[in-house]
Amino acid sequence: MTLEIPAGSLTALLGPSGGGKSTLLRIIAGLETPDRGTVEIDGVDVTDVPVRKRGVGFCFQHYAPFRHLTVRRNVAFGLEVRRRPKNEIREKVDELLDLVKLAHLADRYPSQLSGGQRQRMALARALAIEPRVLLLDEPFGALDAQVRQQLRRWLRDLHEKIAVTTVLVTHDQEEAMEVADRLAIINEGHLEQVGSPSQIYDRPANEFVLKFLGPATQFGGSWVRPHDLTVHRVGRGTGQPGVVERVTHLGFEVRVDVHLNNGERTWVQLSRGAADELGLEESDVVWVAPSPHALAATGMRQLSSA
Amino acid sequence: MSRRWRLPARFAALGYLALLIVVPVGSVFFRAFQHGFGAAWDAVTTPEATHAFWLTIFVVAIAVPLDTIFGVGVALLLARHRFRGAWILDAFIDIPLALSPVVVGLGLVLVYGKSGWFGNWLAARGIAIIFSVPGIVMASATVALPYVARSVLPVLLEIGTEQEQAARTLGAGPVAIFLRITLPSIRRSLAYGVTLTTARVLGEFGAVAIVSGAIVDKTQTMTLFIDDSFNNLDPVGAYAGAVILALLSLGVLLILGGDRHQRRERRWQSPSAESPSDMEVLLPATT
Repeated sequence: MTLEIPAGSLTALLGPSGGGKSTLLRIIAGLETPDRGTVEIDGVDVTDVPVRKRGVGFCFQHYAPFRHLTVRRNVAFGLEVRRRPKNEIREKVDELLDLVKLAHLADRYPSQLSGGQRQRMALARALAIEPRVLLLDEPFGALDAQVRQQLRRWLRDLHEKIAVTTVLVTHDQEEAMEVADRLAIINEGHLEQVGSPSQIYDRPANEFVLKFLGPATQFGGSWVRPHDLTVHRVGRGTGQPGVVERVTHLGFEVRVDVHLNNGERTWVQLSRGAADELGLEESDVVWVAPSPHALAATGMRQLSSA
Repeated sequence: MSRRWRLPARFAALGYLALLIVVPVGSVFFRAFQHGFGAAWDAVTTPEATHAFWLTIFVVAIAVPLDTIFGVGVALLLARHRFRGAWILDAFIDIPLALSPVVVGLGLVLVYGKSGWFGNWLAARGIAIIFSVPGIVMASATVALPYVARSVLPVLLEIGTEQEQAARTLGAGPVAIFLRITLPSIRRSLAYGVTLTTARVLGEFGAVAIVSGAIVDKTQTMTLFIDDSFNNLDPVGAYAGAVILALLSLGVLLILGGDRHQRRERRWQSPSAESPSDMEVLLPATT
């Protein structure tokens, strides 16, 4: 596979677990050697450059904090092994601790930090060496849902501030779409598609990408997003008649399973309001049609359902 | 354990320890000073006793660093590299622990002694190992071989390689990684291993007795001196010598072991109890 990552971008390697995303990230860092192929940074082949000279910042999934060092010394580590002058190190570390909002915890040990704080410490530590590329391996994987949400937003803000080329690995499509400005979909060691989140969501290259990025259902022989379908009580030009099999309320949305008269089983995602208006019940006869704005915006996805 | 049994269990444990350690060692101390401090002092300041004392210190000073370097090296090898025959090395480390020290001593005599494999070769070059100090160092280093490796290995396996990898990405070379990351991480277990090694070398009798020949003023260590005094009906010398040996071991335990308790306490400090949550820190203005 060939994957180019534009300077200054925030790219997410997205795909199911075990698909080779983390391996790719570790190859970029130099922690693992590729069987064949090359890694270039800024146009220079670094395949044979050892990790410590490659100038990459790497955040491990479990942050790999140096447990015997304080937060301050953790962040200072890269500068200390480079034998930078003491006052320069102090200044730089103070600046970074401010950036990741950990200045007040500088003298704590990693065991005295919460997961989110450890994550930010690891980030500051990686940024201290002014890496050419910042690599994040499942950066939010080990955090609880609420903290994860906050850190996602915070990471995007941070990236806007410091604009270092960043690659992160995630298996969570929602996370990837929220944080990254570019996605690379990876499955079973193959690069399936690269593009902006909306490009990939609206124009998936294949069935795998379509299904991985969000719910999909079959309609008229092709795959559509269930929220791009509408349900009507009366027939229209493009509609397909069918019978409601089941109505499921999922909080703010309603899932309607319809058995179409042509034999297809499809499902439609409706807003609560729209569903209430229709007052649907099982075995009601309805017409299902693609919503007009979805047709105008992206067209039907003519994908073979192989 | 239920609350009811906690107190009796504590007493049983302490009583058992008292019976096996405190009372016998206490009696040795008592017997050493039975005829007054002066007699005991005279017994351990004879030239023979002084020589034995310094020889023991010398042997410790050589054998313990050897075992420490070997132990850390083997532990790193086993924990950080996969290679064929690793299991053989793993099993071999424990052999000195399983074998009687007497067997170790006999083995050394067979290989390095006068009629041993290297005996003639060594003798031709004027190198004496058996009935000499090098033999004592070798015997002591051999019987105490496993302690450092066995203390350090599980900790190396437990901490894993992520911290070392992180250090590598931050620009640290192998030496810097070992000194700044690995060594501090295994510090406590290493101190424990070194304590055990030192205590073992200080107290080694069987292997040393065979390879040294227990030549007074030449190859007599503290343990051999104590045994010799005891057999020659010099109980004060034997008990006073035993007290010196015991104090040395206890000193090592206190100096190297004391650190462990301090560290343990720090670990139990509560994590970030009073620090603001992530939410407060990260999103003060945006929410």
